[in-house]
Amino acid sequence: MNSIILSYITFVYFGAFFFYLLMMVMRKEIFGKIATTICVLGLAGHIFAVVLRWVESYKLGIGHAPFSNLYESLIFFSFTIILLYLIVEWRTKNRSLGVFVTPLAFLAMAYASFSPNINSRIQPLVPALKSNWLITHVITCFFGYAAFGLSFALSAMYLLKRLDHNGGSRFFLRLIPDKGILDDLNYQMVVIGFLMLTLGIITGSVWAHSAWGSYWSWDPKETWSLITWLIYAAVLHSRLVRGWRGRKIAILCMIGFSCVLFTYFGVNYLAGLHSYAKS
Amino acid sequence: MSALENQKHPNPVWRFFCSVRLTIVLLILLALVSIAGTLIPQREASMAFARNLSTVNLKIFLALDLFDIYHAIWFRFLIGILALNLIICSINRFPGVWKRFTALPRPDRQKPFEDQPGELSFLVDGEWKTVVEDVEQVFRKKYRRVRAKASNDVHYLTGEKGRFTHFGFYLVHLSILIIIAGAIVGSIFGFEAYVNIVEGGQVDHANRTSSMAPIALGFTVRCDRFSVEFYDNGTPKEYRSDLTFLKDGKTLANMSTRVNHPARFQGITFYQASYGMVVGDHCRLKIIYAGSTPTTSVIEVKRGVQTLLPGSRDHFQVADIRENFMNMGPAVLIRIQPAQGQETSFWVFQNHDEIEKQFPGLTHKFIKLNPSAFKPYTFILRDVDTRYYTGLQIAKDPGVSLVWAGCFLMVGGFFVTFFMSHRRIWIRITREKTGTRISLAGSASKNPVGIERELSHLARHMQDHVARKGREAA
Repeated sequence: MNSIILSYITFVYFGAFFFYLLMMVMRKEIFGKIATTICVLGLAGHIFAVVLRWVESYKLGIGHAPFSNLYESLIFFSFTIILLYLIVEWRTKNRSLGVFVTPLAFLAMAYASFSPNINSRIQPLVPALKSNWLITHVITCFFGYAAFGLSFALSAMYLLKRLDHNGGSRFFLRLIPDKGILDDLNYQMVVIGFLMLTLGIITGSVWAHSAWGSYWSWDPKETWSLITWLIYAAVLHSRLVRGWRGRKIAILCMIGFSCVLFTYFGVNYLAGLHSYAKS
Repeated sequence: MSALENQKHPNPVWRFFCSVRLTIVLLILLALVSIAGTLIPQREASMAFARNLSTVNLKIFLALDLFDIYHAIWFRFLIGILALNLIICSINRFPGVWKRFTALPRPDRQKPFEDQPGELSFLVDGEWKTVVEDVEQVFRKKYRRVRAKASNDVHYLTGEKGRFTHFGFYLVHLSILIIIAGAIVGSIFGFEAYVNIVEGGQVDHANRTSSMAPIALGFTVRCDRFSVEFYDNGTPKEYRSDLTFLKDGKTLANMSTRVNHPARFQGITFYQASYGMVVGDHCRLKIIYAGSTPTTSVIEVKRGVQTLLPGSRDHFQVADIRENFMNMGPAVLIRIQPAQGQETSFWVFQNHDEIEKQFPGLTHKFIKLNPSAFKPYTFILRDVDTRYYTGLQIAKDPGVSLVWAGCFLMVGGFFVTFFMSHRRIWIRITREKTGTRISLAGSASKNPVGIERELSHLARHMQDHVARKGREAA
């Protein structure tokens, strides 16, 4: 039941994307308002379905938080992206970011719901996942991923906006905020993402310490999360100490997000201890 | 700014180590090397990969420790350089940070008041002197190091909050050094090992994970019981070993270890890592006697114990029990030493019927595999006792608490560095014909939006306060 609702949410987020796009192309604020409304409704349905899944797992007698496999993590990833985006939209009062962010959410949902390799059934927890750290670890990691996702979208917007030399001659670029604002917002997202990733790595190593006998075992997922952390540490140092702004930071952030994606999906092709996140 | 400071320093080695450019290069270098470590199979996994390499390549890989990158000397060297870079950068920047920490700007600076929004300068009713007193009272309550400068018609105040935040990045850097120190302590004074214990068995040594060399635990650990629980769909639910810790034959503690719930005894932690089956010492045999009075008996036999053959004065023994003999499943070796004649020994399979189906005649062709080799008896193996063994991972790591302390400090340091700032406020209270004018201005080390919000909040607060005081006086 919950997975059927969740597969519909995919289309809701696609609808939100469509209206954000319409807003950008037609330059009519009303479409933006529709898009935001759709997004909020989608998020409400999303939360409802996740809670329902949680309840259903208890009814099956194998109750656990819905964070235990690739399907559930994709659903949660998409949730964190939309939630974080709506907060940013509300704080900045600008909707143009929506066009760039909603595709991430709806692609994650579509991958979860329609990929033949992903099992959407509720499965019991393997012994290694039976820990109180599961919830904290997953929440911190995925809010980190979501913040980096937004940073990626903002970097893309920044690089697009640079094409806009003569003050908004191109239809699309005019609604994108000034480069300075994008750069600032991007920095804030990187800070949030970095903090969350750090917390994710720490909670992960506390957990690993009790489950695998070592707080750090150079498992590919651990190593890739460290690689991601190092890249964003470089971003922060180059910005805060060396004063880099704009294009260089945007490019570094895009590299950083590709590391995030590899940490999330790529390591599944490498052997390691995190195998439950594969299917 | 740091670039300027670099140039000032006469020592080129110092200049090299205090550059943030080096930090960024090192961070990216470490990232790249770590990527290599996830692409090249490491440690145990490297065997198959190494076999396909040419001799020259293999030599290069071995010389560079590419099969164990994360423990290679040069990898540690890189981390060492990063630590050095971090320490020298921190020392190098200290004078500047200290200056910002201790700086006391004059209260009567005019510059901060330029370009301030109108709402931050407002007229209040009330006599100048009392307004000054009221404002100063409120201000002192909320801000530190408040200083005033008064002249005839203008009263200046300045104060600040959060000047310690300049040291935020020191907390983060220190935390990284503490974590590295924890890792070093762990690798020097700790160990990682593993051991398999059969149910009922006990060990006082384990094998090091890296070298397989035995290591003494300093006490004895016995596995009393191992159990595995399954969900309805057959996937494992829980593995559990009940352990007893002994010293000089005395039981000191009973503990159980489950996945995610290790047992800890005398600084050494035991983790449930794997399990398996081994055959025990007992088996059950069905013996068919096809003599003058045919009988069939089922008896339980212990390995190596002489047992009387039914209907005979001869003895036999189960000389060996194998879990999987010749890849054809469990089997036992029967050895019969009759009073007259030659010793006979042969293997009896538990899966005799299936083997016979698959390879007809096999067991009769080879006397060593023939269950009827000692006439007129036929041996049938009912089953063999199996016992679980538990695979325990054993670790001692005295550096862990340092690592956790470092993690706490790092998160705290992030909050100070990213979410708190050093805010300075200037207040100017001017006597005017129509009343008293209060003007506010401020600056922050970061988060300029935050300081604007703080100033407008402070402005409202002061207006309310002065108005209330005025009413009270009236």
